[in-house]
Amino acid sequence: MTIKDLAKRVFLVEILKGMALTLRMIFTHAVTRQYPEEKRPPFPGFRGLHALVRKENGEAKCVGCGLCAAICPSKCISVYTSEGSDHNKVVDRYEIEVLRCVYCAFCVEACPFGAVVLTDHYEYSDYSRAAFDMDKEKLLANWDKFMAGPKGEEYFKRFWRPLSEDYATPEDQPVFRGGAGAPKALPGKETVEVQGGLSDAA
Amino acid sequence: MPAAPEEIGKKEVKTKELTVNMGPQHPATHGVLRLVLELNGETVVKCTPYVGYLHRGVEKLAENRTYMSALPLTDRLDYISSMANNIGYCVAVERLFGVEPPERAKYIRTIMAEMTRISSHIIGVATHVLDIGATTLFLYSFRDRETLLDLFEMTCGARLTVSYPRIGGVRNDVSQEFIDKLYEFTGYFPETIEREYETLIDRNRIWLQRTKGIGVISAEDAINWGLTGPTLRGSGVPYDVRKHAPYDAYDKVEFDVPVGKNGDVYDRYKCRMEELKQSNRIIRQCIEQMPRGPIMAPDAPKFTLPPKDKVLTDMESLIHHFVLITKGPIASPEGEIYSATEVPKGELGFYMIGDGSGKPYRMRLRSPSFVHVSVLPELCKDALIADVIANIGTIDIVLGEVDR
Ligand code: SF4
Ligand code: SF4
Repeated sequence: MTIKDLAKRVFLVEILKGMALTLRMIFTHAVTRQYPEEKRPPFPGFRGLHALVRKENGEAKCVGCGLCAAICPSKCISVYTSEGSDHNKVVDRYEIEVLRCVYCAFCVEACPFGAVVLTDHYEYSDYSRAAFDMDKEKLLANWDKFMAGPKGEEYFKRFWRPLSEDYATPEDQPVFRGGAGAPKALPGKETVEVQGGLSDAA
Repeated sequence: MPAAPEEIGKKEVKTKELTVNMGPQHPATHGVLRLVLELNGETVVKCTPYVGYLHRGVEKLAENRTYMSALPLTDRLDYISSMANNIGYCVAVERLFGVEPPERAKYIRTIMAEMTRISSHIIGVATHVLDIGATTLFLYSFRDRETLLDLFEMTCGARLTVSYPRIGGVRNDVSQEFIDKLYEFTGYFPETIEREYETLIDRNRIWLQRTKGIGVISAEDAINWGLTGPTLRGSGVPYDVRKHAPYDAYDKVEFDVPVGKNGDVYDRYKCRMEELKQSNRIIRQCIEQMPRGPIMAPDAPKFTLPPKDKVLTDMESLIHHFVLITKGPIASPEGEIYSATEVPKGELGFYMIGDGSGKPYRMRLRSPSFVHVSVLPELCKDALIADVIANIGTIDIVLGEVDR
């Protein structure tokens, strides 16, 4: 052990360095949020609570094909249909057990009409489980609430994939535009040994 | 009546080992892991792990899902690195189907997998350090992880359980904002590691005393126990699936595989810290090299989903859409495959058997955490009880993956 090492040991150098760092941190901006008072808006395309899309005439866009129920990995969607007066398909009941949902958005991807969406609502809490057994009315009400918000229809287009453009090369496809800070030079060997053995314990 | 002083020591005192239950509800076991410790004073004579408290039967569930809708199940294996699990699954199915994702998708996946590695390693190290008694690093690392999770959310709408890759590509393209922000992050992150993480613990004498020479496992033993990932590399074995059987874009980027020397807790910690820098380096290269191009393979409409805008206008797409969702891919192959990818914890293997139906006939998972738990008795033998915590932290397990 050299004198330098001994001095480092005696004067608790590494501990003091650590303390200096934490002391400095006191004077930086806080990165935390005061959650219930201060909320960060979710990014567009956030996969939150479900909603059923309403058409212009006020009815649900869903035609009852049942594809969303078929793809759902947690099998939490049930669609019940019957034959209507002029032999059309009528959706009698459309239910989602929200508590079982895993928010994968596969139902959105499966729906050929874009009739079911996930909204930006992420605070699920209630006093009863029944509040989360969403039926058609509740899901339509979710849509109204969602459309009243700032996001609008553009929002759910982000799940409704794949589109033809995913199989092609769009004109404005983002690529790296160059940026500050060259990559840090690191050793170019296949493997690097990371440390120098037990003897160098401080 | 108390024994007379001269009689103490003469009388035969019967001793026996004390059995202590650690877990399943213990903050330091990183989940619901139960260890039964037989103690002789402070020393652990025997340690027996019991697993299965979080068993959900992922393998069995997958047999009843189409190839596509089994994907979200893999999110919930190692829930800290769900993106890497998703990619592992997609790579396995792609190999079974004989599909090749397009270049751009490969780069995006590599970027995502490395972001996951960073966020998993910083959590792994941070909780490890927290268990041993240092809180500050834990808080700093969550700040950096937040940046990455925000980027995940920006791209795919979820922070933890992402379900982002698809068989034959990825779900949607990354945005310009994503690329710029991530590149900015990779610019300052290596410095953050040095300035903050390493300043705090790298040479901290308490940390060194708790980690150096603790939980030593030789390279030979490590191989025999089937360890992978940083847990193996800490013992000096440079095995990394990304180097030995490259998938995605790993054969197009340069990176080093950090290895330790002594196989103790400290070396494994060092390997993880070094891997953070290497992952950072991979991300930078990927962003710089990422080409323009499609993000789904041209034949993907036959096994993922056809383009939405064609479903109601093109007959063939419509049929594919309905059949894919209700029955799974029509052209599902028969055969079996083992496919390994390097997830943050080690080698994640999928052994899949296809029987020509749209669902996997069998999906067997080789999860690194499960293998790593099995080495705990070896690491804890004759160790002090305080070192059990260090040993749990160092193998970096997530119980979702152990119990599946
Ligand atoms: S988000 Fe996923 S789990 Fe939830 S209802 Fe839709 S398909 Fe089912
Ligand atoms: S897939 Fe769409 S249209 Fe079909 S039942 Fe579900 S929500 Fe309705």
